[in-house]
Amino acid sequence: MTQPKEIFVLTDRCVGCRTCTIACAVAHSTSKTLFGAVAETPRPKSRIYVEWAAPAHKVPMVCRHCEDAPCMHACISGAIRRTDDGVVITDTDKCIGCWTCVMVCPYGMIGRDLERHKAYRCDRCPDRDIPACVAACPTGALVYQTVPAYAADVRRHASGEMVKGKGS
Amino acid sequence: MDSAEAYVIVGGSAAGMAAAQAIRERDPAAGITVLSEEADAPYFRPLIPYLVSGRKQAREMTLAGSGPYTGRDIQVWTEARVTAVDCKGQRVTLADGRQLGYGKVLFATGSRPFLPPEIKGTDTEGVFALRTLADARRMAKRAETTRRAVMLGGGLLNLKAAFALLERGIRVTLVVFSPEVLSQLMNPSDALLIRHALDRAGLEIRTGTAARQIVGDESGVCAVGLDNGDEIACQMVCIGKGVRPNVDFLAGSGIRIGEGIVADRFTACNQPNTFAAGDVAVTHEPVSGRPIMTALWTNAVEMGRCAGFNMAGLPTAYTGTFGILNATQVADMPFVAMGTVHTEGVDLEIHRHASAEAYRKLVFDTDGKHLVGAVLVGDITNAGIYRYLIREKRDITTVKRQIVNHQLHYGHLLPI
Ligand SMILES: Cc1cc2nc3c(=O)[nH]c(=O)nc-3n(C[C@H](O)[C@H](O)[C@H](O)COP(=O)(O)OP(=O)(O)OC[C@H]3O[C@@H](n4cnc5c(N)ncnc54)[C@H](O)[C@@H]3O)c2cc1C
Repeated sequence: MTQPKEIFVLTDRCVGCRTCTIACAVAHSTSKTLFGAVAETPRPKSRIYVEWAAPAHKVPMVCRHCEDAPCMHACISGAIRRTDDGVVITDTDKCIGCWTCVMVCPYGMIGRDLERHKAYRCDRCPDRDIPACVAACPTGALVYQTVPAYAADVRRHASGEMVKGKGS
Repeated sequence: MDSAEAYVIVGGSAAGMAAAQAIRERDPAAGITVLSEEADAPYFRPLIPYLVSGRKQAREMTLAGSGPYTGRDIQVWTEARVTAVDCKGQRVTLADGRQLGYGKVLFATGSRPFLPPEIKGTDTEGVFALRTLADARRMAKRAETTRRAVMLGGGLLNLKAAFALLERGIRVTLVVFSPEVLSQLMNPSDALLIRHALDRAGLEIRTGTAARQIVGDESGVCAVGLDNGDEIACQMVCIGKGVRPNVDFLAGSGIRIGEGIVADRFTACNQPNTFAAGDVAVTHEPVSGRPIMTALWTNAVEMGRCAGFNMAGLPTAYTGTFGILNATQVADMPFVAMGTVHTEGVDLEIHRHASAEAYRKLVFDTDGKHLVGAVLVGDITNAGIYRYLIREKRDITTVKRQIVNHQLHYGHLLPI
C-alpha cells in the first residue's frame, strides 16, 4: 500500500489570495473548468476555507480527516466512512442532511449544500495525484506530504491543537 | 470459543454495535456475540421515519458494513431476548431458555417509549410509539388507510414522525401540552422560527392541551379526546412522550440501577466484568458533573465505543455528554440545541439575536467567561466549534465577541 499523504497548512506562508478555494470549487464542479464552474447551478462549493484572524493572519482550513473522526461516529445514517487511504468521506446518497456532523466537527470543516440538502467536505481529490488546493497554492502554504514514520504523532499533534483530552 | 474470554453484548443498536466495533479494532480474534431482541439485524434507528414516508427501504438502513461499522466476525443473534443475568456464574439466560457464558458483558439495551398511563386506550389498533423498524412497518401499513393522524407530544421524534406522514399526504395534528413545540430542547421564544416553518409546512399544532383518551371502533382508532373537551377524528395516533430505560431483565442480578444502569467513569457497572452504555445507562453532564440520562444516538455510540475499549483492556474514561445535543432540520429550518438551553429564571449571561431567517441564543455562565449552551436556528455554521468550547470548558474571553456575533472560526482558536 502507498504511504498515506496529508494536507499540511503553513499559516505563516498564506497571503489570503484564496486561489485554493477557487481551485477546490472547480475541482468539485461538473465541468472541471473555471469558466464552466462559475456558470453552474448549484454553484460549485469549495471545501477549503481561508479565514482571517487578528491581527493579520490568514488561516487556510480544511478537514483534518481526524484519527478518531467525531463526525464518522456521530453520523446517524452511516454516511461517513474512512477509505483505505485514510480519507474520511461523506456518501452523498446516504446523507440525510441532519447536520449532526456539523454539530460535532470541532473545526467547523463540514459544509452544508442547501440546494441538495447534503453535507460536504474535503475528499482529498481522489482522482488527482495532488489535491487541487495544494497544486494551486502559489506560496507553498499548503503541502501534500507522504507522511513519514512519525505520521501518527503528526496527525495527533495536528488535531490535538484543538481537540485536547478528547476522552479516547 | 472459551466463554471465559468471550464478549457478550446485550442490545444490538448504537451503543452495542459501537462497542463491538471498538473491541474488534483492539482484538482481531476475540469472540463477540451481540444479542438483540428485535427480529431485524442492527440498523440506524434514526432513519426509521423514512420507512414511514416511503423515502427509504429497510435494507438501506442496515448498520453492519456502513460508516465505521466494518468489523468482521461479529456474531449477531436476532430475536434473542435476555431475561436474566447471573453475575456470579457470568452467564446470561435468553427467553427461549438458552444460556450463554461471558468473559465480559455489556448492557446496551436502550430504551422504549413511555406510554402515559393517564391516557386511556393506548392499546387500540392504530396507536403507535415509533421506536423500531417493526413499528415503522406497521405504521407505514396503517398510513395507507389513514386520512388524518394525531401526534401526542411535541418532541423531535414526534415531529419527525409527523413529517413522514405529511409527506404521504396525510393531514397531521400535533397535540402538545407545553406552550410550544420542542420544549425539551429550547424555551418557547427560541422556537419561534421553527414554529413558523412547521406552520408553513402544513402541520396543525394545538398547544397547551393534552389527550385524555383514545377512542376506537372495529377499524381501530377513530378519535382522540382532549382535556378541553374537543374530540379529533383520526385513523392514527402517534405517542411521543419520552422514553424509559430497558432494565427489567436485570432484576435480581445485583447490578445497581438508579434512573438507569449506573456506570462509573470507565463505563463499568458494580459487578465484575459488567459494563453499560447508551440510552440505558446513567451518565454525567460534563459541565456540571450531574448524573443524567440521555436519548441520543451520538451519545450512545460514543459511550458504547468507550465501553468497548474498556472491555478490551484499554482503560478509556468516558467524558460524559450534554443531555441536550441535537442537530436536525424540521421543514426547511435547520437547528442545533446543545448544553444549557433552558434559561428562564436562571442567572446566566444570555445573548440573543433574531432576524427573519435566523435566530441564535448563546448562553454563558454568570462570570461570562465560559460558553455553557447554544441554540442556533436557521444558521448552524460552525456549531461544532461551540460544542467543543462548551465541552472543554474553555475560557472564551478572547473570542467572546466572535461567538456573540456568530463569526467564530477555528482560526480564532489557533495559537498564532
Ligand atoms: C425515530 C427516531 C429518530 C431519532 N433521531 C435521533 C437523532 O436525530 N439524533 C440522535 O442523537 N438520536 C436520535 N434518536 C435516538 C436514538 O435512536 C437512540 O438514542 C439510540 O438508538 C440509543 O441507542 P442504544 O444502543 O442505547 O439503544 P437502542 O437503540 O434503544 O437499542 C437497544 C437494543 O437492545 C435491544 N434490547 C432491549 N432489551 C433487550 C433484552 N432484554 N435482550 C436483548 N436485547 C434487548 C432492543 O431490542 C434494541 O435493539 C432517534 C430515535 C428514534 C426512535
